[in-house]
This record gives sequence, structure tokens and C-alpha cells, in this order.
Amino acid sequence: MKPRKGFAVTVGIDLAEIDRVNAAFAEFADAHHLPAKVRRTMRVVFDELLNNAISYGFRGRDAGAITVDVELTGSRLSVTISDDGQPFDPLQAETPDTGRSTQQRKIGGLGIYLVRQAMDEVRYERLDDRNVLRLAKVITED
Amino acid sequence: MDIAIRTQADVSLVALAGHLDTNTSAAAQEALDALVVGGCRKIVVDCTTLEYISSAGLRVLLATVKGLERDGGVLHLFGLNETVREVFDISGFSMILPVFGTEADALRGLLR
Repeated sequence: MKPRKGFAVTVGIDLAEIDRVNAAFAEFADAHHLPAKVRRTMRVVFDELLNNAISYGFRGRDAGAITVDVELTGSRLSVTISDDGQPFDPLQAETPDTGRSTQQRKIGGLGIYLVRQAMDEVRYERLDDRNVLRLAKVITED
Repeated sequence: MDIAIRTQADVSLVALAGHLDTNTSAAAQEALDALVVGGCRKIVVDCTTLEYISSAGLRVLLATVKGLERDGGVLHLFGLNETVREVFDISGFSMILPVFGTEADALRGLLR
């Protein structure tokens, strides 16, 4: 059996922890020669989703844990982000009106919109009292 | 994130280097707010060495533009890499903020 190409990292509910996930992903990306574009895209994706989870999922709690699991199968990159925070489905966020002028524009919902556009698949489920977000992207060399 | 500011006539050129995201947006907002509070009405943001931007970064730019526009000011950007450009396109920011290819183009019309 071939060894699994992937890693899992569990971080606390502190915004500074986002960089720990980024560092782990950078190491993984180096090891598997992922294109620079994918690395930058994933940094945006992690920033949006972890910021969301940390900011909204753990209100009133001092501690919590978020697990990020990354796996590469052929050219398919799968990422699962799960946490034990209160039920929070970021996919329910309103789709932003991207056509509005500067004075009318709001930022709410933009982060998750960026994630949806960047990834091929984004699914949410509440499983065993955990929020589970499954993302996938097929990596193309271009 | 490194933020370097220089001035040319009455234009402030702000070079953002690195990542404009959740953890760096506060510092960037502070730097830009300080310029506006100090009376600057023309800001050119140099994105040449900006690796990526998340929605937290877009929020900073939007807040700055809103503040500037209230007083008749402007904010131009230039030097977006492919990833930053993509975020601008997806979010619609390419349509609401003036984005230029080069510093000279971004400055054109602002210098008097």
C-alpha cells in the first residue's frame, strides 16, 4: 500500500493559529511540488474558513480545537476542516452583490464566496456534534 | 506584512508586501487610516509584492476608499499578481476600484 499523501493538524481557537495551518500546508506543498497558484489559493481559503470558524463557532468559550486534514489523491486535493464549536454552516452566508459601488458594498459573505469560487467542491455537514467542511480541488498545471 | 509609505507631491504611495489577511489587516488599516486622518486624499497602493489578499484585506481597502471618497479623495492600485487579481475579479472589486498595470499609470492624473 502506498503511503498516504497528506497531513492533519489540530489548532486552537486563536486567529494566530491560522499561520500554523499555513506553515503545515506550505511544507506539504513543497513535498508534493504543488503549483504556486494552488498554494496562494489555499492560503486565502484557510484564512477565510479558519477566521470564520474561530470568530463565530466558539462564542463564549475559551478553548476549542479545529482539525485540518489535507489529502492529495492523484491530482485531487481534498481538505476537511472540522471543529467542535456550535453549529455553524458558513455556506448559509448571503451571496454578496458583487456589482455594487464602493459606497454600497458590504463585505459580509465575501469570504465564503471567494472560497466557493476557488474550490471545485465545498460541502458542510454537522456530524457527531462537529462542524465538518469538506473541500476539494482538482489541481491543474497552468 | 510589510508596509512602506513614501510620498510624491500630494500622493501617498503605500507598498503592501506579503499577505493581507486576517492577521495583518489591522496593521494595514491603521497605516491607511493614519494617512487619511493626516489629510492625505490621494493614495496609490503598490501591490507588486503583495502575495495574496483575503476578504479581511478587501475590507481594509473598501473602508479606506469609503473614507477617502467622502472627502473627494481617490485610491488607485497597481501591480496585482494573478492571485490578487483573481480575488479582485471574483469579488467585483476590479469594477469598483481603479486598478492599473504600472506605477506610472496609477499616478497619471493624480500628480499636479
